[in-house]
Amino acid sequence: MRGSTPLAIAFVAPALLLLAAILGWPLISAVVLSLQNIRAIGTGGELIGFDNYAEVLSDATFWRAGGISIVWVLANAVVQTILALITALALQQNFPGVRIARTWVILTWIVPTVVTVIIWRWLFSSSGGMINPLLMQLGVIERPIGFFNTPTTAMATLIFINSWRWFPFIALMMLAGLTRIPSDLYEAARLDGANSWRRFIRITWPLLAPTMGVLLVIGTLLSFNVFDIIWLLTSGGPAGGTRTLPVLIYETAFKSYNLSEAATISVLATVFLMGFALLATRYISKTEAQ
Amino acid sequence: MTTLKTACTALALIMPLTAAAEGVELTLWHMEQPPHRVARLQELIDAFNAGHDGVTVTQAPQNWGEIYAKAPAALAAGVGPDIMFVTPDFVPILKQVRDIPSVQEFVAEQDAKHDFIDSAVEAYSYQDGVWAVPLYNMAMNLWYRKGDLAEAGIEVPKTWAELQSAAETLSKDGVYGLGLPANKQLYTDQTVYSFMVNGGATEIYNADGSLRFDNPETVESYTTYTNLQKLSPPDSTSWTWGEAEACFISESCGMILQFSVITGYDTQGAGDPADLGVAPIPAASADDESNTIAYANAGLILSEDEAERAAAQDFLAFLLEPENYGRFLNMEPGLFMPLTATGAEAESFWTEPLTAKYREQIEQIIANSQNGQLFGFTSGRTFPSIAAISAQNLIAETLQDIVVRGNTPADAVAAGQALMVEAAAD
Repeated sequence: MRGSTPLAIAFVAPALLLLAAILGWPLISAVVLSLQNIRAIGTGGELIGFDNYAEVLSDATFWRAGGISIVWVLANAVVQTILALITALALQQNFPGVRIARTWVILTWIVPTVVTVIIWRWLFSSSGGMINPLLMQLGVIERPIGFFNTPTTAMATLIFINSWRWFPFIALMMLAGLTRIPSDLYEAARLDGANSWRRFIRITWPLLAPTMGVLLVIGTLLSFNVFDIIWLLTSGGPAGGTRTLPVLIYETAFKSYNLSEAATISVLATVFLMGFALLATRYISKTEAQ
Repeated sequence: MTTLKTACTALALIMPLTAAAEGVELTLWHMEQPPHRVARLQELIDAFNAGHDGVTVTQAPQNWGEIYAKAPAALAAGVGPDIMFVTPDFVPILKQVRDIPSVQEFVAEQDAKHDFIDSAVEAYSYQDGVWAVPLYNMAMNLWYRKGDLAEAGIEVPKTWAELQSAAETLSKDGVYGLGLPANKQLYTDQTVYSFMVNGGATEIYNADGSLRFDNPETVESYTTYTNLQKLSPPDSTSWTWGEAEACFISESCGMILQFSVITGYDTQGAGDPADLGVAPIPAASADDESNTIAYANAGLILSEDEAERAAAQDFLAFLLEPENYGRFLNMEPGLFMPLTATGAEAESFWTEPLTAKYREQIEQIIANSQNGQLFGFTSGRTFPSIAAISAQNLIAETLQDIVVRGNTPADAVAAGQALMVEAAAD
């Protein structure tokens, strides 16, 4: 085996080099860009050291966008986990049509983002949408409200729409985790007189935890980087109330024409996400080992 | 040897043919993406190509959402278009990336021939040059239904006070008197500026390039707008043009400010030209003349090659010819208005079925557009920083400061000026 190591490296090296180039080159490019003062794409710039970092880190807009990003990620994680867990547990049961349900549950996930946005924008519209009349008929509200009218309602509405889009995907991942739990454990618990709740707490939850840990890391990274839904529905508004870091990066690069500053925010966001991913992975490994 | 001679002779004969066949190829970028606009433009391009041996124009429709990032990047990479349809605020951005030669002589030539609206040329005239060729106009108007106003017993509003009164009267169950956006988006920039330009706050810059946004006239314009905006649907803080038009067409909004609603009204709404009303944006008081915001879209020649620049001028001149100009403008009937005197009279413009059907409304839009202004491109006071101010929608952001954050108009305008100064300094 030892003799074949160089050969193995030779086989793997091209793929690794390609991967390094694909992942590394944009990152290095962003770091270099962040150390310059380039404004619009295509214009020149000079090396200015860490001035952009000092500027960004002392800018309240950056910290506000960072805070909004954290709220966005946490709220999406909570809502999506709850919805996905309920869905996965339901789909685990045997009922007529379960196979069809398992297939069609991902419908919301495969609908193109722009279609999702158009559907929900019109549903939530206060002049012609369906949600407002429904809530009025149910007596929840007296007159139409603007779901994107204030930063709080806009953020809540965005979280709902994004969760609606993503939770089926997470549910399917959880379902895969659930199917890996040996059925004889449930059988034994049932014989010991454990009710549904105890079986969930003692068997399902602990054995599903590793899958949920991995999903938490992936979900956080995906949620953090969501740009399309936010941009298409609110463009970060109203009054910057839904301006997450990806939205701020886009605005800085293509609205303020400050490419280097946008690259600086990108690098800082990447460092934060890498740190989070490393810590989370380490925590999950440690928990699994215990 | 004989074979070699024959080959050389054949090559010598073929080479000029090859060069002639290559000719001049021009790529046109524009953001008129709807299929019917692309199709109409293609008809004109085909006609031009057929009449100009050795010149081939090809269109490549682009997306407004991407173009501010894509065009500078493409120019920097040397793969940009040879001609591009632009709005005034886009030119300073592209001028940063590439040295664009002035087209002053060509525009003067076309002006002598077709008589451009002065403000259209003005929007592209600064820094000792004229940078693009005005092609088509879009002007903001007040749209209403004549029947609704008659039923409510009110006249078409001509002043801000009358507009407020009319909007209040038209507001009833399920109907919002006036649909005004408050989104941080270009449409809101346009509607707010429509009030500013009527409230004596036309100039964003002083003659020396310093900003003069924070002044009593601007504050008064924002105060009026904010009061009227309270009569709009609650979700107007996230409106773009489409939502406003839909609100009007579905009769959920009594009046709206929009460039045009004709196509939507005709295809999805009542489609009754006798009931569709269009008026100038109301002036601040009865003594004032009505003004509006107007976007003179233009053809920007980006190619640096002399032969290509000459061919591009030929193409733009072809579009401005009255027999073609009307067909060009009618790629979206009722939206794109003529910028030349010859175009306004062109038979090719008025014979389009939808244009003929809504002739009364279109004549009113053309009349309104005569007093069109665009923020940052007035009185020759144009400075490159307007590109950043415009791209960041700082006029709309100032409105959100009032409508969403609850600040006073005076404080919001002061904060808006600070943001503009910051954008200009960057």
